[in-house]
Amino acid sequence: MKQFILNRILSGILVIFGVSIFSFLLIHFIPGDPVRIMLGINATPEQVERLTHHLGLDKPLLVQYGQYIANLFQGDFGTSLKTGRPVLTEILDRFPETVKLAVFGLLIAVVIGISLGILAARFKDTIIDKLCTVFATLGVSIPSFWLAILLVMVFSVKLAWFPIANGTNFRDLILPACTLGVVASTMIMRLTRNGMVEVLSNDYIRTARAKGLEDRLILFRHALRNVLIPVVTVIGLQLAGLLGGAVIIEQVFNWPGLGTLALGAIMSRDFPLIQGTVLFMGVVYVTINILVDILYSVIDPRVEMGVKEAS
Amino acid sequence: MKLKSPRKSLLLFAIFIFFVFLIIGCSSDTSSTEGEEGTDTNTPEEASTPQSGGTITVGSLQEPDTLDVHKTAMSIASVITNHLGGTLLGVNPETNELEPYLAEDYTVSDDGKTLTFKLRQGVTFTDGTPLTAQVFKDTFDRILNPETGATVAAGLVAGIKSTSAPDEQTFVIELEAPSAPFLNSLTSQGYLQPLSMAAIEQFGEDYGRNPVGAGPYKFKEWVTGQSVTLVRNDDFNWPQSSAVNQGKAYPDQMVYKFIPDEQTMLAALDSGSIDVAINVAPKDVQKYRNNPDYYVLEADRQGLGLFLEMNLEDELLADLNVRKAINMAINKDAIIQATINGEGTPSYGPIPSTIFGYDPNVESYGHKLNPEEATSLLESSGYTKNSDGFMEKDGQELAFELSIMGPHNQAAQMIQAMLKDVGINVSIQSLEAGTLMEQVAQGDYQMSLLSYSYSDPDILSMFFHSSQIGGLNHVRLQDPELDALLEKGRTTVEPEERKQVYAQVQENVVENAYWVPIFAEKVFVVVNSRVKDVKMNNVSVEFQDSWVQQ
Repeated sequence: MKQFILNRILSGILVIFGVSIFSFLLIHFIPGDPVRIMLGINATPEQVERLTHHLGLDKPLLVQYGQYIANLFQGDFGTSLKTGRPVLTEILDRFPETVKLAVFGLLIAVVIGISLGILAARFKDTIIDKLCTVFATLGVSIPSFWLAILLVMVFSVKLAWFPIANGTNFRDLILPACTLGVVASTMIMRLTRNGMVEVLSNDYIRTARAKGLEDRLILFRHALRNVLIPVVTVIGLQLAGLLGGAVIIEQVFNWPGLGTLALGAIMSRDFPLIQGTVLFMGVVYVTINILVDILYSVIDPRVEMGVKEAS
Repeated sequence: MKLKSPRKSLLLFAIFIFFVFLIIGCSSDTSSTEGEEGTDTNTPEEASTPQSGGTITVGSLQEPDTLDVHKTAMSIASVITNHLGGTLLGVNPETNELEPYLAEDYTVSDDGKTLTFKLRQGVTFTDGTPLTAQVFKDTFDRILNPETGATVAAGLVAGIKSTSAPDEQTFVIELEAPSAPFLNSLTSQGYLQPLSMAAIEQFGEDYGRNPVGAGPYKFKEWVTGQSVTLVRNDDFNWPQSSAVNQGKAYPDQMVYKFIPDEQTMLAALDSGSIDVAINVAPKDVQKYRNNPDYYVLEADRQGLGLFLEMNLEDELLADLNVRKAINMAINKDAIIQATINGEGTPSYGPIPSTIFGYDPNVESYGHKLNPEEATSLLESSGYTKNSDGFMEKDGQELAFELSIMGPHNQAAQMIQAMLKDVGINVSIQSLEAGTLMEQVAQGDYQMSLLSYSYSDPDILSMFFHSSQIGGLNHVRLQDPELDALLEKGRTTVEPEERKQVYAQVQENVVENAYWVPIFAEKVFVVVNSRVKDVKMNNVSVEFQDSWVQQ
């Protein structure tokens, strides 16, 4: 078990290292002189020179990267060019909002996904199953930004039930969380339904039925538990995705999370902030992945065994 | 049974979509009938007396970098800090003339180099410290100190030799040379307001998130990524002289909400979570004009919304006839209709009518649309049409590359078609903004499209003075005669005389056809009708007289 966890952490660090190289190189992929872009058309050559020097862009690439990594280890993600505040402060200001949205969105996804999944499996091949399939197909195929705009039009503009760009209170959370939740729920629902259908045809379920157990008991106590293992993995991965900042959804609803921070940084060409958010999202994603793997191995010990055999 | 299921799903899908559109359809029906009932009056009906209280919420596409006005280069920071402090002089929104604000009176010495301001008495900062001449001196010294790293503010005070405060109410500025644009820059909202030195000392690096001034509002909080909240300063009774309300502001609070997406901003306006949307695009304005729940303010922007610049170092463009022909081939009205919904006026000279010194005569002597004349100009320069229908001389086709950035794409395509009609072959090169700026500054281009905003005709020296090659002098002009005129324009303080100088500048630039000025556009602000008496001039949106219908 310890070996397994260590392996996962080591490979995670490797991935983060890769992300750091990528995020560092970002500036150098940009066409044109980034400094001139940041300063705008009225910049004098002296200003350009000063900022170039300040950012260390006049040094060799390797020296720049070395400095970048050394700073990272001291918790120094650099300073936002726009606000002059530490990048890490900017990120930590926004991260709680993203967590709020992600957790609430995921909660909606889990509730909708699992209950519809069970419902569809229980009433397999009936109209209820069909309706659930339609819902899942829609959820997968509708672009999330389109759904977001539709919800804004109907519930914010026409019905005026939920304000838009109002703040981060519970009422402001509902629409963006529902958008994320609906989209994320479809995969959970499909997995739950298919898993349940498979499990419900097993002998032990038939035995349980023959014993005259209640339907509810069979579904929740006997079947659901076995279905949940793959579902947990998917939920974990979705949480990681959502924590990385649901960029488009945050933008449409003007939610002040990591996604809008990253987009704003890109728009204002605040390169240290772009690098910082990319790296931070990478770290969050990798960490959640490791946690899910560990959790998975706790739920299902066979996972750990598999890794040991392979290595 | 199995074959049927996809069909059933499809049917259910269709029913779902139908219901969605039914909901949207029904609700838009009701809103449009509401609109029809009230179309005759688009102004707030009850002209009642102003009420105190409430909150005005303004939506902004941008969020400031810092609220330390000396360190910011963002216009939104100056807009917000304008509520927190005043300037020495103000601009009358109706006449666009200078008027007293924090200075009751001022005098300019005969040589134009010494400006003496008599300060208003009884003005205090919101932290309780009094506003004295010494504070003005400290504020200006802070801007001039290179360690501050002042940006726009430093540009506005460039040319100051020294400042002094001989007594509590007298503030003196000594200039290196007489400067006409200088008095105007003293009115720039936000940037040159006096700052509480006590607060700067107290907050240090964090002053930019805890600003203290002597304005109608005081800073309350800044929630990063969301909003800045200001609360009324109850002691305020020193607005500029043209304001109707000479006391404290009416609303309890002003809130600036940051909504970087234009469509989300409009949805926020529609849903009532903001009252005022600034910089609304021309294409979106029409629906608010016809809706009694809103009113639309408009002003001509100071600057040109679009102009075409030509590189004189290009051998084909060095020919005046070619530049004139290009001027005469471009249909400005068509571009205005297509790109900004007709919400602008065609320009014939390098500055618009909203900038001081504009010479209305450019409208008569400026180059007009005249494709026949354009063709004959090219023919007189020795060009003849080749088999492809393009003009050609000595085997060389009259062909140019037009370098643009994304937003100007539509205008560029129209120009391409218009120039083709007179036999000029244009290819469009769409570049990323930073790359374009770099290329045109280095003269590595033939023709380009650009826009600018500025409040003084001195902008022309940035575009055409020979010292600015490598900077904004993209046409790479070196004309000692024009250089001399531009320098004279900057140092001439007497308004009538200064106007004459700029009339000559405009004539020179138009006659030589260095640019094709295309249009000056309008800027729009949309206000929810529950907020009354929001005003706008060419420079800013004014809230001193505004109040909220409770």
